[in-house]
Amino acid sequence: MWKKLIFLGALFFIGISSVKAETNSKQAEAFMSEIGEKVITLLTDKSISNQERADQFRVILKTKFNGKAIGKFVLGRYWKQATEEEKKKFLELFTETTVASYATRFKEYTSEKFEITGSRPESDGGVTVLSRIVRTNGQTIPIDWKIFEKNGELRIYDVILEGISMGITQRSEYAAVIQKGGGKIQAINKALEQKLGSYKSASPAVASH
Amino acid sequence: MKFILTIFIVLSLSLSPSCAQEDAWSYTSDNLHPGEETHLTEHEREEAIHSSDAVEDNDPFEPVNRGIFWCNGILDMVLIEPLACMYKEIIPELVRERVGYFLRNLSEPIVFVNNHLQGKSEDAGDTLARFLINSTLGIGGLFDVTTDWGIPYKKEDFGLTLASWGVKSGPYIVLPILGPSNLRDSVGRIGDYAFDPINWWAYCDDQAFYSYSRTAAQILDAKTDNIDLLDDLKKNSVDYYATIRTWYDERRKDLMIADADRKATDTPRPDDDDDDDHDSDPDDNN
Repeated sequence: MWKKLIFLGALFFIGISSVKAETNSKQAEAFMSEIGEKVITLLTDKSISNQERADQFRVILKTKFNGKAIGKFVLGRYWKQATEEEKKKFLELFTETTVASYATRFKEYTSEKFEITGSRPESDGGVTVLSRIVRTNGQTIPIDWKIFEKNGELRIYDVILEGISMGITQRSEYAAVIQKGGGKIQAINKALEQKLGSYKSASPAVASH
Repeated sequence: MKFILTIFIVLSLSLSPSCAQEDAWSYTSDNLHPGEETHLTEHEREEAIHSSDAVEDNDPFEPVNRGIFWCNGILDMVLIEPLACMYKEIIPELVRERVGYFLRNLSEPIVFVNNHLQGKSEDAGDTLARFLINSTLGIGGLFDVTTDWGIPYKKEDFGLTLASWGVKSGPYIVLPILGPSNLRDSVGRIGDYAFDPINWWAYCDDQAFYSYSRTAAQILDAKTDNIDLLDDLKKNSVDYYATIRTWYDERRKDLMIADADRKATDTPRPDDDDDDDHDSDPDDNN
């Protein structure tokens, strides 16, 4: 009897959790396709100025990505060593360079198509939405988006380009910069500041505050 | 004639001991390690794929590597990139695609060999089918017919085979001209070169120059395909060397994972401390 009850209980639990994951996946797909549409509309809208376009990108990126969680992850083991001030400075610079890099990227990829191809619930409670960019020459670039729900809100936590996590790539890259700079967090902040400067000089509208 | 010879070599390989006695490999390893499981356990496989060290801690030759990377960058700037740009501008996409497929078809025999070495007889069958069909119906490999039939190309090389046997990556190495690699994959390159049936055929025919032109064509083809991606990485990174180093490592790991086992769990995730601060509130910026 007890065995049966436990078995039923377990079945019920599995049922609930899989149903929950299912809705999350669908929600996450819808969430990503909405962002995709927004970005495409923004790109094709000729009536707005470059400055406006950059500003709207900033809003999308800042509200749809969890910059703080990503920043913490990419700083990896150095996060704990950093002072509050360094952390704050790093997060600010990290968000700004991310916004600037995506703004320049989106500017280049204008006539490509963006398609959601599916999604996959992950064991850590997140959902990976699979998508691809179809280029004008027919070449496809697979891009996956790692999405978590927090406080009833979906947000992007990682971008996985051709199977490679940008979070991991940047974590390793930043660790290299910090190591080269004698293990100081300032080294990465300085490098990001320079990077931001180069974006600004290349395209003033993209990286301005 | 040459073509028939190639097919003959491939067929003879498929009937070689590694295929006829599928468990020949496990038999030997049984003898070597009595009582041990013949196939790698899930854990061992995971460990070989996600080898413990972060790649930035696995680069003892970093100063030398950075030097070679820099030289490769110069070579790329003055020779390969201009060539790739010219190639891209002058030759129509349709023709370039044919060249790419042709080169890829030439690599199928060594993929087939590696399928066998990894004990993946189903993949080996797919690869053989791809090679035979694309070489005939696809006019010498100019067209990829089989992908439309549901047998897409799946890259394999001896580096990946070594990894599937549990060999760890070893230190990161930047090879002159060929670029990022590691000890395991460098050994793998030599293995692939030595055992590539297409190379044998070239040597039988005394065409030493053939393999150079093939390698050159491969470099150019890969460069043309990835020029935008590499450009993007270069422009958006603070340390291009470190980015490429991780990129290579992650790419190789990704190639080792079967689609069914794919997961993305080593990513940023929510925690208690990642809610927006007021200073990063987007509304403040407008």
